[in-house]
Amino acid sequence: MNDDAQKPIEDLTFREAMDELDAIVALLESNTLELEDSLASYERGVALLQSLQKRLATAQQKVDVLMGELVVDVTDEERDTTLS
Amino acid sequence: MAAMDIRGVQRPESAFSGPNPFQPVAPDAGADGLASPASKALSVSAAVDLAKGALEGIRVTVLGEVSEFSNRPGYKAVYFTVKDERATLPCMMWSGRYRACGVDVCVGQKVEMTGRFSVYAPKGRMNFDVQSLSLAGEGRLRMEVANLARRLEAEGLMDPSRKRPIPVMPEVIGIVTSPRGSVVHDMLRTLRRRFPLSRVVVAGVPVEGPQAARAMMTGLRAAYDAGAEVILLGRGGGSFEDLMPFNDEKLAITISRCPVPVVTGIGHEPDTTIADMVADLRASTPTAAAEAASPAREALEEQFSAQAAALGRAVRTTMSQLCSHVAHVATRPVFQDPQALFATDAQTLDYALSRMARALSLLAVQDRDRVASLARRMAASIPRNLERDRSALALAQSRLASVAPATVARGAADAERSGAALFRAADAELERFGHGLALSAARLHDLSPLAVLARGYAIARDEAGGVVKSVDAAEVGSPLSVSVSDGTLHCTVDAVEASRHPAIEKETA
Repeated sequence: MNDDAQKPIEDLTFREAMDELDAIVALLESNTLELEDSLASYERGVALLQSLQKRLATAQQKVDVLMGELVVDVTDEERDTTLS
Repeated sequence: MAAMDIRGVQRPESAFSGPNPFQPVAPDAGADGLASPASKALSVSAAVDLAKGALEGIRVTVLGEVSEFSNRPGYKAVYFTVKDERATLPCMMWSGRYRACGVDVCVGQKVEMTGRFSVYAPKGRMNFDVQSLSLAGEGRLRMEVANLARRLEAEGLMDPSRKRPIPVMPEVIGIVTSPRGSVVHDMLRTLRRRFPLSRVVVAGVPVEGPQAARAMMTGLRAAYDAGAEVILLGRGGGSFEDLMPFNDEKLAITISRCPVPVVTGIGHEPDTTIADMVADLRASTPTAAAEAASPAREALEEQFSAQAAALGRAVRTTMSQLCSHVAHVATRPVFQDPQALFATDAQTLDYALSRMARALSLLAVQDRDRVASLARRMAASIPRNLERDRSALALAQSRLASVAPATVARGAADAERSGAALFRAADAELERFGHGLALSAARLHDLSPLAVLARGYAIARDEAGGVVKSVDAAEVGSPLSVSVSDGTLHCTVDAVEASRHPAIEKETA
């Protein structure tokens, strides 16, 4: 967790970031860290959390059509605009 | 369904030459004594037998819908009726054959049966004696599907242990379904709403018709190749026949061998296809399948806020624990009264100091006494020494006084003797030296040229001062200076004459 090889958060996948966050929360809750380490972990955890929330909020689903031709559902677009 | 569908009518020769003695010909042609030749009328038996003979031996395959069914325990046969829009056919099937056909006949089923007509003479009733029976239409399809399901289940393809967990947050989600219609859009919308972080790869394939199963297999492959971590196989509701591609054995095997989990969302309950059975997860609808493969956004957000709270709580807990520990330490006596920390040492120090002072003063007294004693001893010893030295000196003085005059007198006599000897020696030496001197002076005088001149010899010199020793050295008329014993004569050579004895020459002035 406190490895020197800590990856930059933007290089982590969503899942990796979540896993690391889980681990940090568990570690902090175990209450076995030195104060300095626990503060460093806390900072990292907050940064991970912010990154995750931001990613979720700003994500645009990417759709690749491998086969066939996707016929756009007009009502789908309408529903979208009325939803958001 | 059209009217009674007679698919095949067999009229084998044996039907006419076999055990049946009757032929469907004019009665008079086959008179066997049963009918009177005189009368055209037949007995009932003969008539029924005639019908029997006409019907039996016709073997057909009939398709129809079961409308009544009776299978009473103890009976040797099952009795049922098959009908279509315009006709009804009473049927019987020997129990053994019925059991062998493997179909549970029930009302409303479409069945396909092969048999022959028979006539029950005692009642005059025609029956269709069913020799084999199978389900037809949807029923047949259902049975085939059920058989395939049994087979695949026996092969273990539906084993619960084969079901893989569906990834919670797949980065790539595959969709295999029709590119047209609402299903694909329901799925996409669901994924977009719930988990827009994932990439969706869509394989649009026909989901109905004879090509559908193969196309879906290709679609699964394409989705897997595109990196899908989970694949959704979807289709809207439809009739049993519409769903038949999802009951394809090859598709079932493809699904079971798919390297990533497959979630089906096909039609609506209660239709269950083979694909549903072999899939890792069966969702009731395409939307439910999309939900199964994506985390609920709300749940994620809830989880994040819970984690945020947990993070803060954990750090606060750590801090407050540390604070209370520090506070506790601060209440310890040592921090309350710092003096106490040194009290013992300070007292020890004081005690030591007083002991030292005492010891020092004791020592000082001892030292003073000792110095005083030394001084006394020294003072006592000095005069004694002086006295001793003084008397030694006096003794030496007196001894010196007694010895000195004799020594001086002896020295003086010695000096006097030596001096006389020295004088004597010096006189003798002087005399010898004076004698030698006179001798040397006489010899020196003898050697002087002046002494020679005194004896009458002269020395001639030319103008340059050189001594003229030969006649050759002087020319006639040249001046010569001739030294004699008491002066010099300046002369001129008048003539030159060589003597016979060259060693002797006489010059005249």
